[in-house]
Amino acid sequence: MFLGNLASLRYFLPEFAVTATILLLVVLHVVTKSPRSTASGFLSLLGVGAAIFLAGVAPAGAGRSIFEGMVAHDGFAVFFKVLTALATLVVIFMSMDSRDLAGRSQAEYYIFLLSTLLGMFLLSSATDIVMLYLALELVSIPSYLLAGYLKGQERSTEAAMKYVVYGATASGVMIYGFSILFGLTGSTQVAEIGRSLAAGKATLPMLLASVMVAVGFGYKIAAVPFHMWSPDVYEGAPTPATAFFSVGPKAAGFAVLVRFYYTVFAAADPGTGLWRLTSAVDWPFLFAALSALTMTVGNLVAVKQSNVKRLLAYSSIAHAGYMLMGFVLLSSAGIEAILFYLVVYLFMNLGAFYVVVLVSNATRGEEISDFTGLGSRAPFAAVALSIFLFALTGIPPFSGFIGKVYLFAEVIHRGVYWLAVVAALNSVVSLYYYTRIVRAMFFEEPKDASAIPVPAVSGALLVLLVAPTLILGVYWEPVARIAADSVRMLAF
Amino acid sequence: MVNGILDYLWLVPALPLLGVVLNGAIALLVERPFLLKEAGLPLAGGHGAGHGSHDDAHGASSHGSAHGHHETPAYRKLVAFIAPGVVGAAFVVALLCVLSLASRPADGRTFVQILFPWIQAGSLLVPAALQLDPLSSVMALVVTGVGFLIHVYSVGYMSHERAFARYFVFLNLFMFAMLILVLANNYLLMFVGWEGVGLCSYLLIGFWYEKQSASDAGKKAFVANRIGDFGVLLAMFLVFWTFGSLTYTEVFAKVPLLRESGVLTTGLATVITLLLFLGATGKSAQIPLYVWLPDAMEGPTPVSALIHAATMVTAGVYMVARSSALFLLAPDTMMVVAVIGAVTAIFSATIGICQTDIKRVLAYSTVSQLGYMFLACGVGAFTAAIFHLMTHAFFKALLFLGSGSVIHALSGEQDMQKMGGLKKYVPVTFATMFVATLAIAGIPGLSGFFSKDEILWQAFSSSHGSPFLWGIAALAAGITAFYMFRLVFLTFFGKSRMDPEVEKHAHESPWTMTVPLMILAVLSVAGGWIGIPAVLGGSNLFEHWLAPVFHPVAAAGAAHGAEAAVHHPAALEIGLMALSVAIALCGIGLAYFLYRVRTGKPAEIAKQWPTLYDVVYHKYYIDEFYEWAVIRRIVTISIGLWEMFDALFIDGIVNGAADLVRAAGDRVRRLQGGVVGGYAFSLLAGAVLLVGYILYRSVVQ
Amino acid sequence: MLVEYATVLVFIVLGAVTVALMLGLQRWFAPSAPSAVKLSTYECGEVPYGSSWVQFNIRFYVVALIFIIFDVEVALLYPWAVVFQRLGFLAFIEAFIFIVILLAGLAYLWKEGDLEWVRTLQDTPAKKGAK
Repeated sequence: MFLGNLASLRYFLPEFAVTATILLLVVLHVVTKSPRSTASGFLSLLGVGAAIFLAGVAPAGAGRSIFEGMVAHDGFAVFFKVLTALATLVVIFMSMDSRDLAGRSQAEYYIFLLSTLLGMFLLSSATDIVMLYLALELVSIPSYLLAGYLKGQERSTEAAMKYVVYGATASGVMIYGFSILFGLTGSTQVAEIGRSLAAGKATLPMLLASVMVAVGFGYKIAAVPFHMWSPDVYEGAPTPATAFFSVGPKAAGFAVLVRFYYTVFAAADPGTGLWRLTSAVDWPFLFAALSALTMTVGNLVAVKQSNVKRLLAYSSIAHAGYMLMGFVLLSSAGIEAILFYLVVYLFMNLGAFYVVVLVSNATRGEEISDFTGLGSRAPFAAVALSIFLFALTGIPPFSGFIGKVYLFAEVIHRGVYWLAVVAALNSVVSLYYYTRIVRAMFFEEPKDASAIPVPAVSGALLVLLVAPTLILGVYWEPVARIAADSVRMLAF
Repeated sequence: MVNGILDYLWLVPALPLLGVVLNGAIALLVERPFLLKEAGLPLAGGHGAGHGSHDDAHGASSHGSAHGHHETPAYRKLVAFIAPGVVGAAFVVALLCVLSLASRPADGRTFVQILFPWIQAGSLLVPAALQLDPLSSVMALVVTGVGFLIHVYSVGYMSHERAFARYFVFLNLFMFAMLILVLANNYLLMFVGWEGVGLCSYLLIGFWYEKQSASDAGKKAFVANRIGDFGVLLAMFLVFWTFGSLTYTEVFAKVPLLRESGVLTTGLATVITLLLFLGATGKSAQIPLYVWLPDAMEGPTPVSALIHAATMVTAGVYMVARSSALFLLAPDTMMVVAVIGAVTAIFSATIGICQTDIKRVLAYSTVSQLGYMFLACGVGAFTAAIFHLMTHAFFKALLFLGSGSVIHALSGEQDMQKMGGLKKYVPVTFATMFVATLAIAGIPGLSGFFSKDEILWQAFSSSHGSPFLWGIAALAAGITAFYMFRLVFLTFFGKSRMDPEVEKHAHESPWTMTVPLMILAVLSVAGGWIGIPAVLGGSNLFEHWLAPVFHPVAAAGAAHGAEAAVHHPAALEIGLMALSVAIALCGIGLAYFLYRVRTGKPAEIAKQWPTLYDVVYHKYYIDEFYEWAVIRRIVTISIGLWEMFDALFIDGIVNGAADLVRAAGDRVRRLQGGVVGGYAFSLLAGAVLLVGYILYRSVVQ
Repeated sequence: MLVEYATVLVFIVLGAVTVALMLGLQRWFAPSAPSAVKLSTYECGEVPYGSSWVQFNIRFYVVALIFIIFDVEVALLYPWAVVFQRLGFLAFIEAFIFIVILLAGLAYLWKEGDLEWVRTLQDTPAKKGAK
């Protein structure tokens, strides 16, 4: 049942909170004399906090389709709203602390950040291809601006330019795919398209459309071979924005990927927790190949990187590859594993980037050589970074291990052994480059041995990021349960 | 569900954890900067050489002026209040819980409190849950009670220690882990506690990590324990595989059923129990893994008392007793346990004869007494084992604390050859230690007598026992009496052999140290009275208390220990009792003769049989043997492997793989040229390839 | 059925005639003095063709965007005005929110100085960013 516009409003409160905050930020920017005031940071924190609260308390129930079928309000959407908003919250903290951004107009930065968040909210809940396309663009366009926010720095400008060109190409291909789907089925409703396609046989246009849409989504989650933009953008963008890109839009990309493909090309078998393909397009196999390719390329290239930000960029490509494993299994448990992994990934990846921010604030550098001797220069930050890196590798008892266990267990359970083997080999490769940083921090002599001060607030935030990384390594039940609940409400 | 005070059972482990958090905050935020400032160091590292070691150099640097109390920073007072406070509170809660449990009918005395669902992976459902039953309540009371006294004692003993807060963080953390170990309701949570106490033991043995021997000892304990832990892990897998659960109540409830259906064969039970016992030999320092415990004396003395005498090392005994239902199904394992226990008892007792370091004597004595407990387990007398565990906790903690007090008085001297005549300097320490010595020697009326005699009697009369085991144990009892009195005579009696400089400063310890000694002395005397056997007219309350835990399993298993005992006449029991007391008195008499009457005699004997003396003095060269047989072999083999296999083969593969990865990374990296046109092209090329791929697949199908 | 397409035909014919008429009249009356500049296609003052690497003033872009935004606003308000009577007060509130949002944007543009074509060097965003 579709809810009308007015009846839908009460399910749209998080979006309103973000929109209102954006407008307030605009006003703040216009009325304040100093554009660098930290007030805008606090205002954004408040707004995003309110959005998380509103998303959390919103009645999810069985899920409903709101705004005449444009947007879904279900557990799945709520999960991703909370997740992306949480990521944004951490990134705002990070940004307030970053020297990259110091001396630049703050309000505009947060306007872009929150606009992206609004886009991610819509992207994770869109159920109409027009809405979906708009949401994707709403995520992309402010992202371009964020990437190029360091106006005057060549790298940042280059990042923005490449991002725009690549993003425009990808979204062009994707909307071409959408138009084919619309031509085939005569509907823009995702569910309706699925029903129409289920009836017919596989045709070349259908194959074309499914691949073209995959290009758009693949670009958003930075899956190989649609990942080319990400290392350059990650390196050039201000570090907090990089941290944001590696978690937020990626998560939203996974949300839309799962929702779109599972609704259009698959249907749930009631009671079994399994899904079956409804159309003859064998996309799981397609994405399984992409998954293997993504993690392998990401890890292999990361090995050669000497810039920590670029290294983390490639590592985040590899992590998208791991998560894609859960996507191809056609089982609710597989999706559950993705959701769970995204939660642990949020903390460990943002944490790693945060330490990079702290270090580059002090050393003005992001090369591995800038991290030498961090173990004695800033022991707490070094230990925290080691925890994040070990978690990213997937070593017990850290949260990343549990995330991988869920993914691997389901891959093996569904009998896709070759993918499990590829992923296991990849984990070993990743150990190599993650430990390279740890080695530099603890076993190599620094050029400059002076202590790096970690402000109390930063330390507190680090603790807040380390804690879940440790706790989820030993006690993950609630998060796993939330992930499971969120999957169950996906169908509508 | 309302269970009164029992609903607050979680407080028992939670309170020490609170102590960890509070003291940890103090240690990190107050003490560390304070010490760093004092040491004049800009960054971490040690805190100044020469300050760390207490037992070695205690007093040398800080003892001189007016007892060395430099201005006590306020935070130390806070720590000194919090650390024992939380443990004391945990004791009170535990006591109230046990009293509440005792008010229930005997067959309803198992209380399980589920804290939260912990692991749900497939069919593996493990909650984080606490279980209070007669067995765990004894353990909890001993751990918190003795633990509290030792915490109080530590406040005095460690008063010169720089890293005061850090010490108590570890000590509180130990209490938390130990309570998790004994209160867990499943093997996995117990294993968490098991590893936790191992970690704390490692941290506390190596507390003075600037000292090479201390950090080496820590490592040794760590390695020996890992070997044992390996056994526990494998046993857990087998238990889960067999029973489909790790929760005690579920596992033991399924034993009869699986026994009937033939799933749980005697062979399987033997393997599981042997693996569990391997873990126990590691943690409880039995042959062949006992070697770490004497070295563990490098830690501060209260740590030796708490961890390496009263509580942690008894965890193996607790685990065996807890798994009694499984052990009773495996007669072979029972025999192994009994024999290893008996042999360990006598073997380490003989080593104790020749040691001159006061703490090492006590360490070997501990190994020996733990051997008794395993002997009891091995003959099916689990009640006796736990009884001895409890009384041993009292008198051995007292002995260690007393020796700590002596060491404290002598500014860190541990060699008994440099003591003597200390009676008049430390009267309270002497009196209390003497009581403990009487108790451990098995003098009638004291706690050690009742528990040790129960074990001896069961070793003789139980269906698993034999006169041979009794003989070994009785002989070990005599040797124990001998070396313990040797210790007392050398330390407190005779002429002073002290360094005059040291003697000048010899002093009785402060009240924080002597009060715990006195309390423990009372317990060493009276602690056994709750288990006076029927033959002496007692009611053996202790056995009745533990009966719900052990009797059903004893009935289910094929053990007739209790029944068999009935067939033996009371006169025999009394007679054997008298015989063992006589043996102990012989030991005491011999000690008196050698160390009071003919004080030159021991040296003569040593000269007369130089080889024997040498062998015993060097602890039968076991450490050297391990060094030669195990460590050297492993080193030789590993060097061989390294040269042959590793350097050529593995390195070839690994380096080859690494080179391959790097080369591949280099190639793939080159794809990322940086020209945006190329990127856009790659996107389109990717899309085309995917379409081709998917088409190809649909054509093939 | 086919007759309905006659309307379209009439439009096509009328359109063609009008264009031809206009161009013809212009040719007849106007003096003709062609030059290279005059003959080039009109493209807002820019060189209409040449290398694609040519640099042009970024401010064209900004102004065009501003124009489109408010153009779309008007395009949306027309149909709104048509049905306003039927929808009542609710429609008023909706349009009000819509306009307020755009107003905030307008205020932002004003503050940033993007509404002035001629700006001093000091005001240009490039200068501001470099500070």
